[in-house]
Amino acid sequence: MSTPTETETPSETETEGGTRLSYETRDRLYHLALYGSAALFSAVILFPIYWMVQNAFTDSQTVITEFSWLPSPETVTLDNFSVLAAGAVPRYVINTIVVTAGTIVVVVGVSLVAGYGMARFRFRYKESFAQFLLLGYMFSPIVLGLPLYLIWSEIGLLNAQIGLVIALSSISMPFAVWLMWKYIQTIPESMEESAWIAGASRWRTFWDVVVPQTKPAIVACALFAFAIAWNDFTFAQILLPSQESTTFAPGIMRLIDQGGYTSWGDIMAVSLLMTVPPLLFAYFLQEYLLKGFEVRTR
Amino acid sequence: MANETVESTATTDRRSVRGRLGLDGEALWGWATVAPVILLYLFVAVTPIAFAIYASLFEVPLLNPDWTFTGLSNYVEVLTMNSFWSSLWLGALFMVGSTVVQLLVGLWIALVLNQLDRGQRFLTAVAFTAYLVPTVIVVLVALFMFDVEVGVLHIAGSTLGLWGERTFALGDQTWAMSLVVLIGSWKFSIFVTIFTLAQLRAIPDRFYEAAKICGASRWEMFRDITLPRITGVLLIAVLLRAVFMFNKFDIIWMLTEGGPAGATTTLPILAYRTAFLHNDYGVANAMAVVMFVFLAIGAYCYFRAFDPTAEVDT
Repeated sequence: MSTPTETETPSETETEGGTRLSYETRDRLYHLALYGSAALFSAVILFPIYWMVQNAFTDSQTVITEFSWLPSPETVTLDNFSVLAAGAVPRYVINTIVVTAGTIVVVVGVSLVAGYGMARFRFRYKESFAQFLLLGYMFSPIVLGLPLYLIWSEIGLLNAQIGLVIALSSISMPFAVWLMWKYIQTIPESMEESAWIAGASRWRTFWDVVVPQTKPAIVACALFAFAIAWNDFTFAQILLPSQESTTFAPGIMRLIDQGGYTSWGDIMAVSLLMTVPPLLFAYFLQEYLLKGFEVRTR
Repeated sequence: MANETVESTATTDRRSVRGRLGLDGEALWGWATVAPVILLYLFVAVTPIAFAIYASLFEVPLLNPDWTFTGLSNYVEVLTMNSFWSSLWLGALFMVGSTVVQLLVGLWIALVLNQLDRGQRFLTAVAFTAYLVPTVIVVLVALFMFDVEVGVLHIAGSTLGLWGERTFALGDQTWAMSLVVLIGSWKFSIFVTIFTLAQLRAIPDRFYEAAKICGASRWEMFRDITLPRITGVLLIAVLLRAVFMFNKFDIIWMLTEGGPAGATTTLPILAYRTAFLHNDYGVANAMAVVMFVFLAIGAYCYFRAFDPTAEVDT
């Protein structure tokens, strides 16, 4: 399946003494396979995105009546984006933004403090605690969501966005805390010590010395929390059953289910808008993302 | 909440110099800093699971506050349910299918990206894009592309004779499951890629240079240098993917709601239906407990295969 395997065929025949391919031929075949593969997976990944963009800018009547590979100048329009001006969709988008922002704030705040504590204080059972944290990878929204539904309807968190923020923050914890913990370990303690000697309190040292140095980890944690919250469907579907408070994913699916709402032009337009923020992050913060994963898997 | 914790520890600090502090004080601070995390876990994970175990022993009509204690009969009901076993089978199919596709495709993309001399940065961004497109958008675009009237993939498939001109492929018994697996893999293969790529980039170039001088072929270099270094990370990726896919609810529900005729009803879908459509909350919680047991087994394997804490300086 892997590319090097594909180049194997010529070298195998070579060792068997059959047709001997020159180094140049093998190299050319290898590069053909390599760039062919790159072209293939790029096409598979990019085509749906292209299709979404093309139809987002196409007149919604044309979208459902005609089929064309390329956009034509007569049908290009921005009208589909008016879906954001009225109806239920804008509310869903705003709710998603609120929930995502809340999740990012909670995740970064809590993981920063916990990561600092774990990196700088010695306490018993710390390793057990870290292992316990990793169990969080095994939390699945559906397993937790079903019981949470009744618990939260009892304590009044059902249909409250803060409830969703709490749930999403919890499932982001294992990654965020581990990343902060490992990252803060790489910051030399001596800087904090000199701040203490200069008379700074621990809180002040944390805020003025440690936090500025953890910026890459903060960005990685925020990105991760963003991805979790922006992506969420299951928790929101279960914990925000009312149409008023729900986020984009359950909201739009319910619209489609109920009213047979299939103005594909509108749907592609709003889909495009929901895709833009993650794409911007992918382009501009690639290094941070990779760094985050590196710290985690190292 | 988090800030208060630190502030209170800071005041303690002012009264006593750090060096003079006994382990008790330090341990107290340590626990104080992680207390919010513990609270979150208690609130969102421990309580619900305990509650699910408790509720699974009752008959709970969702809209009615009267619970009837029925002991283990919910479990008996679950285990004798035909739909439970069929959903377990479909879930296994979905899990294995998705994991295999995602591993192969994800590894392939990672290896290609790592070998490219030109356009590497751009293509990495392209690959990451798929992982960052929200699941609901993947679903909406998929529903559009398989639309019977104007869906591009629908038209492609019916032209190739894979399905009829009026057949909604995602609503077709023979196609629904494979398509759900493939649509999910479009996004989640990149998870394996990201995991593997970080590891691949950490392999020093001089290993390959040395091998090249010794006359190793590309395949030999892959087999003897690359593969041993990514096996560990691949194992973790496979385990995590398998666990995540076994518990996948969102993409299946949004694409098919478990249909057609139960063809994509995996265990999470069945549990959701039981709770909110059949109003049988107790039985649904029994299913949640069963899923949790599977998760716990996954977690156990995760720790056996790979001890993550061993790699951190403490």
